[in-house]
Amino acid sequence: MNNFGVIEVAGGKTTRAPGWAYVPDVGPSPAQALQPTNRKGRAARNQAGPSAADVSARQDAKIRKELEALDRDTNKDVNIPIPPKVGGSRAQTNKHTPNVRKILQSQKTFANYLDDYQALLALAETNPAAAAALNPANAAPPKAAPPSTARNSPAPPPPEPKSTAASKRSAAAAKRAAAKEAKEAEEAAAAKAKAEAKPKAPEPLAESKDEDPPQSYPPDGTILPAYQKPPPPAHPSDNDPLLVSRIPPFPSDGELRALMTAPPLSYLEARGTWGGEETGYPTRVFCEVCGYWGRVRCMKCGARVCALDCLEMHKAECVTRYGL
Amino acid sequence: MAGGKKSQLSGPAPSSRTLVIDNGANTIKAGFASEDNEPRIIPNCIARDRHRKTFVGSELDKCKDFGEIAFRRPVEKGYIVNWEAQKEIWDREFFDEKAPQKCDPADARLVLAEHSNSLPALQTHCDQMVFEEFGFASYCRGPGPALNAYNDVQAIFQTPRPPETVVEYPAEVMLVVDSGYSHTTVTPVLQGRPLHQAVRRLDVGGKLMTNYLTRLLSVRHFDMRNDTYVVNEMKEAACYISLDFKGDLEKTWKGTRGERRLDYLSGAGIAKDYVLPDSHTRFHGVVREYEPGVSAKARKGAVSTEDVLTLRNERFVVPELLFHPSDIGMHQPGLGDLVMQSLSELPIGLWPGLLANIVVVGGNALFENFIQRLQTEVLQRVPDACIVRVARAQDPIACTWVGAANFARHAHVETLAVTKQEYEEHGSAWVARKFALGLGVDCDPTG
Repeated sequence: MNNFGVIEVAGGKTTRAPGWAYVPDVGPSPAQALQPTNRKGRAARNQAGPSAADVSARQDAKIRKELEALDRDTNKDVNIPIPPKVGGSRAQTNKHTPNVRKILQSQKTFANYLDDYQALLALAETNPAAAAALNPANAAPPKAAPPSTARNSPAPPPPEPKSTAASKRSAAAAKRAAAKEAKEAEEAAAAKAKAEAKPKAPEPLAESKDEDPPQSYPPDGTILPAYQKPPPPAHPSDNDPLLVSRIPPFPSDGELRALMTAPPLSYLEARGTWGGEETGYPTRVFCEVCGYWGRVRCMKCGARVCALDCLEMHKAECVTRYGL
Repeated sequence: MAGGKKSQLSGPAPSSRTLVIDNGANTIKAGFASEDNEPRIIPNCIARDRHRKTFVGSELDKCKDFGEIAFRRPVEKGYIVNWEAQKEIWDREFFDEKAPQKCDPADARLVLAEHSNSLPALQTHCDQMVFEEFGFASYCRGPGPALNAYNDVQAIFQTPRPPETVVEYPAEVMLVVDSGYSHTTVTPVLQGRPLHQAVRRLDVGGKLMTNYLTRLLSVRHFDMRNDTYVVNEMKEAACYISLDFKGDLEKTWKGTRGERRLDYLSGAGIAKDYVLPDSHTRFHGVVREYEPGVSAKARKGAVSTEDVLTLRNERFVVPELLFHPSDIGMHQPGLGDLVMQSLSELPIGLWPGLLANIVVVGGNALFENFIQRLQTEVLQRVPDACIVRVARAQDPIACTWVGAANFARHAHVETLAVTKQEYEEHGSAWVARKFALGLGVDCDPTG
């Protein structure tokens, strides 16, 4: 029987018949419902079609491969060496410091660095001391919020990344930080004295946020000062209850301080999170040949096409890839 | 000014020049804060054309034939990864004898814009290179999106104000959408400080879109996989962001078997012809109006010398990835959702200020209708009462640099900059910590 491999998209009702079916079609990966569940019928036709799992695995693998390809800089792996300079000024550049030599010779890619970083984080969780010894610069808590800021800001519960960062803090690093804070306190005291004498002068050290902040400024709205200029001219219907605008309460200074001094997120934490299909709108699917809506699915590989013209073009490719 | 100079015991006078670099993945924006008002734009790549000739950085301007050109880029995902290549480019542009922007690092300050959420190892490498290899006298590394606050933001929005208003840097509150070559980030900025907890990233950038267009064309027309540069030009010239995606998609559909829809035949104002460069007489592609009624075959017979592509839904499907990354199976939210995810980290009291000051920077902002589309997407998601203003910087590519240059002239730079002596005294971990803390809050907010 010749149905061109087409499964027509239909409503929620499933009608079973040998060889083809109206099935509800949800989402881009073929659901179990796509394949006729009547195993007997298939056995009767003696046809070893790919199972739903096969088809969805094929689609997933294809999408993954394509995304990797889209992320690359060049189609082919090219290795372009640094061209030699004219005039031979290379010779004098040979004396690098050990750090620089290490950096220049490193052939690591971003993916390698990211893996290293994650490995370090994992190590810091299980064995903080070892991690600190391995990489003191990175295991130190520069990224963790100092506890003083957290105390100053009762209002917003600290977002979860902060707490994980704090848990990664190693004992050794904490000790060092404590020493540093003591040193900073001294500096900050000096700075505060200066700031009080001349309030407009910028603080000499950015780290001075470790001190108790509220002294240097009046307590209210200092980070975003209140609007000083004359208000716009009055309008007769300003007091109209229908036109009055409701403004959410402005966050307190403490909250703003906490936000502004919060540590940066790590690379992976900063990525937008995908709610999945349950939370948002369903994923849109497109014809793989012409780019119109993908309304029809190829039974062999699960690819979407728009109509018969494109299906035929797709079939030609599909056959070479997966065979008849 | 007191500031970060106090541990400088017998150092030289404050650096005479400040070199400002926004080191993007595709182009470097560089200039001197004291002399330049706009940056020089340098391709950040080492390129090799099909005759195996190599071009480093701005030498690419001399290249004529971009067919099959291959690139090596030192910046990956927005962060400087390969210093071997980056050093070569910087050397040739800034430090060599005949460099176009000659700079003596021993007597200069470097202000370098980086992307947020970098890996600590990469940041350390950067600091080490700046001090140990190039030997800058003083150095400051800051998050690029936040430096946009040192622009005249209200001028971007054309806010009515008395002409004698003095522009104060940094802007009080703004939401920066930075859509560049590697990715798109959303950064709320308060008084020039990024709100780190609310920084969000979408891994869709110019590179991904160019590659996607390359794939579409290779499936439908010619194999363009080795001509990324040509495709990128095409993307910049022909792609636009659709305000009515469904409608546009409908207009560009050919119809079912045997059917040819009227909109398809006439082009419906969407179809455009793109004449590919032939590398003999024409080195850059040209967009042409679509000529309905002339079939591709007939044209091929008549003028056999030029290769013409008809772009239809490719024109708007490609930039659509910014708003629907799931169209290619990426499990990431679109730009509208990304803005909302960022806002949801912040107290609602800040929303009105942020939503009324959304500034889009980065090369992708040049797509036609980007601003309108983003405004629509955000409006759909926020409470009715919120005023949403979205604007594109006058020059979205250079905007971060201009902000960084203003920052370099601002008193804030003194609090953040690190001198070579300080680096040698305290080490790279201290420097990294200092930059991670940023300006802090207790530095005077208005300067």
